[in-house]
Amino acid sequence: MKQGISRRDLSLGAVSAGALSALAWSPSAWSQAAKQTPFTIVINNSPWFDGFRKVVEAYEADTGNKVNLDVNPFGGSLEKQRASVRTKDGMFDLLIMNGLYYQEFYHGGFLTPLNEIDPGFKLDPQMVRYDNTVYWNEATKSHDPAGKLMSVPVNGNIPLLYYRADLYEENKLKVPETWDELLANAKKLHNPPKIYGIVQRGARGAPNDVSYDWWPYLNSFNGNLFRNEAKGDFTITINSPEAKAALDFYLRMAKEAGHPQTGGLAQAQIIQNLVTGKAAHALLVIAAWSQMDDPAKSAVVGKLNAAKVPHGPNGKPSPVLGHWLAGIPKNVPKARQTAALAFLNWFQTRGSQVKYLQAGSPPVRQDVLSDQALWKDPKNRWMAAMAESSSYTRLMWSIPEGAQIGDVLELRLNQAVIGELTSSKALNMIADESHAILVRSGYKTGKIAPLA
Amino acid sequence: MNLSKPVSELFWRRLALTPAVGIFVLLSLLPLANLIAMSVHEISWQNGHSVWTFIGTSHYERLLDDGLLKKGFFNTIIFSVIGVTIQIILGFLLAWGVSRISRGRVLYRTIFILPILVPGILIGAIWKLMLNYDFGLVNGLIGLLSVQPIDWLGTASLALPSVILVDIWHWTPFCFLLLLAGFESLPQELHEAALIDGVTAWTELRYIYIPIMKPVIVVTFLFRFMTSLKVFDEIYLLTGGGPGSSTEVISYTIYRTFFTQDQMGYGSAMSVAVLFAIALMMVLGFSMSRYKVQGV
Amino acid sequence: MKINKKNLSIEHFFLILVACFVLVPFIWIVAAGFKTQISLLQGEIFFTPNLASFREVLFSKTTEFFSNAWNSTVIAVISTFLIVFSATLGGYAVERMQCPRWLIHTLLGWSVVFHMIPPITLVAAWFPIYRELRLDNTYSGMVLAHMALHLPMALWLMANFIHDVPIELEEAARIDGCSTPYLIWKIIVPLIAPGLAATAILMFIFSWNEFTVALNMTAKQTSTVPVAIAKFAQGYEIKYGEMAATAALALIPALLFLLLGQRHIVKGLTTGALK
Repeated sequence: MKQGISRRDLSLGAVSAGALSALAWSPSAWSQAAKQTPFTIVINNSPWFDGFRKVVEAYEADTGNKVNLDVNPFGGSLEKQRASVRTKDGMFDLLIMNGLYYQEFYHGGFLTPLNEIDPGFKLDPQMVRYDNTVYWNEATKSHDPAGKLMSVPVNGNIPLLYYRADLYEENKLKVPETWDELLANAKKLHNPPKIYGIVQRGARGAPNDVSYDWWPYLNSFNGNLFRNEAKGDFTITINSPEAKAALDFYLRMAKEAGHPQTGGLAQAQIIQNLVTGKAAHALLVIAAWSQMDDPAKSAVVGKLNAAKVPHGPNGKPSPVLGHWLAGIPKNVPKARQTAALAFLNWFQTRGSQVKYLQAGSPPVRQDVLSDQALWKDPKNRWMAAMAESSSYTRLMWSIPEGAQIGDVLELRLNQAVIGELTSSKALNMIADESHAILVRSGYKTGKIAPLA
Repeated sequence: MNLSKPVSELFWRRLALTPAVGIFVLLSLLPLANLIAMSVHEISWQNGHSVWTFIGTSHYERLLDDGLLKKGFFNTIIFSVIGVTIQIILGFLLAWGVSRISRGRVLYRTIFILPILVPGILIGAIWKLMLNYDFGLVNGLIGLLSVQPIDWLGTASLALPSVILVDIWHWTPFCFLLLLAGFESLPQELHEAALIDGVTAWTELRYIYIPIMKPVIVVTFLFRFMTSLKVFDEIYLLTGGGPGSSTEVISYTIYRTFFTQDQMGYGSAMSVAVLFAIALMMVLGFSMSRYKVQGV
Repeated sequence: MKINKKNLSIEHFFLILVACFVLVPFIWIVAAGFKTQISLLQGEIFFTPNLASFREVLFSKTTEFFSNAWNSTVIAVISTFLIVFSATLGGYAVERMQCPRWLIHTLLGWSVVFHMIPPITLVAAWFPIYRELRLDNTYSGMVLAHMALHLPMALWLMANFIHDVPIELEEAARIDGCSTPYLIWKIIVPLIAPGLAATAILMFIFSWNEFTVALNMTAKQTSTVPVAIAKFAQGYEIKYGEMAATAALALIPALLFLLLGQRHIVKGLTTGALK
């Protein structure tokens, strides 16, 4: 099946986009469409990679520039990126970093601010900022929008609420806005062992399962890991009464409408339950969507739909970020850095993003996400929810030590799910252990009163 | 006994050992030295450069308080002792059986080697599917006997035994291969002597084969035990160390510390400490085996 | 003296039983390559075979299977040969050449300890060296790494097998004026043929399935089969079908090596043995 818009459409799109934004952009941005030296992108294999690859091929066809792709398994990409930036001369010119591990590259000073490669480069206003993770203030070590631009998003992976639209129609259910509504719907559809009301990622993951699944609950119940990360106050507040409410709700969900063995479910099992029709709801990242409508991979083709993640008492949904950012390391020659940036420049145009969508990847431009004309295609029925979620995305943490805290979260939350620890005990242990980690690394931190 | 030592003898000795020693030095001493150096430093990265801060034995002291590491050590020992013992026994019986029969040897030999031909990742991925609660083959089979589905990997008490089972499936071929080679190296007269009237299989085993095969058994056991202590693939793919910490093993703890969390200093201290502990165990095991085996 | 014709039915029963335990999961793994992903996820036992995974692995636009398989073969064959060669010589030296006891113990003990270093830390230590020497993404680099990883075990195994060869045979040969290389090749090797074959098979398998070093030290040009298989575990989707198809295809050369190894290598090694 021939996919994608024709070259003429693409050029037309590029030209009109260029014309429209010529007012805001400096000429140097477009002069980079000139001939560039070949450069290498290091990236992981994933369902959205296919779309990315097609876009890269379109770039090569359009500009005549050569791009090498070094494709790796999920975890393998981090190993290689890390090894490459720590040597004298790196092997990779464009690093595709995940929202869970990009922090070490920012903090370690391995990346070149994009404007040092080209002072005229601007991140298109329509590109989603993803909780300002593209910006970095070296002095305050925070994601300050007034700081330097370090990366361009290439994938905006956030969780959405996947639900069985066909069962909703049968049972005349309304799409839930709050967690309570979700629980009510899940209970109505819960009919084990034929179908579970909801399946949750309760497993102890590598690098994460249960903490990523629970985080939207935490934030929307007004719970937080740190008191005020943006201002540098890393007092641990994970064992607050709000967080306990969030965790208790999560456990209640599992007990009343969930899978009997939630503690053993990782992302792969969530997907397995959804595609085999055994789950009525699940919180799952948008990156997994493409499998759902593929008859070779799914028994529920066309039956699923996606909505924003529900919100708690504070009224705001908080889909947690698992996105991908493209950064350029310092230890590669300037010519290759320029070539990589030229690609990113081309990538962020509206035309390229539409092609990206049609190749099977969620776009990272808000105007494409919100384009109601595109919503009409049933293949894109998840886009409305995604477009709405853009302004609510929340980062788990911005510090490299987050990986250690993540490990603690995974172990203790999993123990709470399987019943080895009570929710209070689990949260108190998380608080104590996270505190120890931060103290050891020299952060300004403290603890709050433990839960009873 | 004195073998004459002309100059050429010395030459051959040097030549014989050179490849092995050369590689060892370059690729093995260096990482170990690096590891030990890192274990007494705190390593961070700023502005693209590494910053090494000497902190003495801080990391090692932290190890003593690390409850997860202790649990991991405990789990690993149980995993290895039980798993490898079963693998040796099974491998031995299989090798003995194959060496006795006359027909179908090549067929059996090929079949019993098959599991180690499959890459660890695939074994982990497919066994995970087979042990799945809702759709796994195993629950499907026991369902035929009207048994309720069991959550093999999601129940804390069953997770480690399930992983041991997968390990047995995966690695018995290793033991089988070496023990079979041992059997086939035995002098022909031994096989014939065992065919004498009135000797039962059990007697044969106990008084002839086991004593004779002891060196091979010991070597196979030690090697399999060593590699078993390093178990990683199965844990990573099947359980991620969970549920809780019931399948936490040291390789996995080190992997997470060193790699996922990027704590190079602490991770190195962990590796060195584990290395030391294992080396100690090996020395004890080695010297014990020297008592039983003559002339090693 | 009457020699009993043994009743081997118990042995056969036992062997068949275990063979089933071995084969059922194995067939399940291979069958996964012929199923659609949904069929696999649903645990279907009866299914209609589907070649989509194989087609994807062999013929898709982005496939690297043939280059990966070639790389794996080259690296495995060369490293197996070099390892077995070095290990045999080294084993002989250790056992027969009156090396000082402390050297032997250190060498063997060291090989044990080295084996315990987690592969990931080894790779982290080797990577800068490899970059300096431009060994990354080369066959020689991979062969060297595999030798470093597996030579210790091979050395110990060969030393053990050589140990079992009666010293009298060697003395007899020396009296006849045998030089050492001739001695090793014509007398020792045939006598340790089963052990040598077993070691070679193991070394080949270990090299073939080696993953951690291959992942980090290779790029597209020298990538091996295990890396290709790992790429199908994509985080947001595990492509079981493609993984199984790749592994099934990769099994073919391994099985061939095994079958040939059993028949010919052992035979080849034992011809000319003085018994």
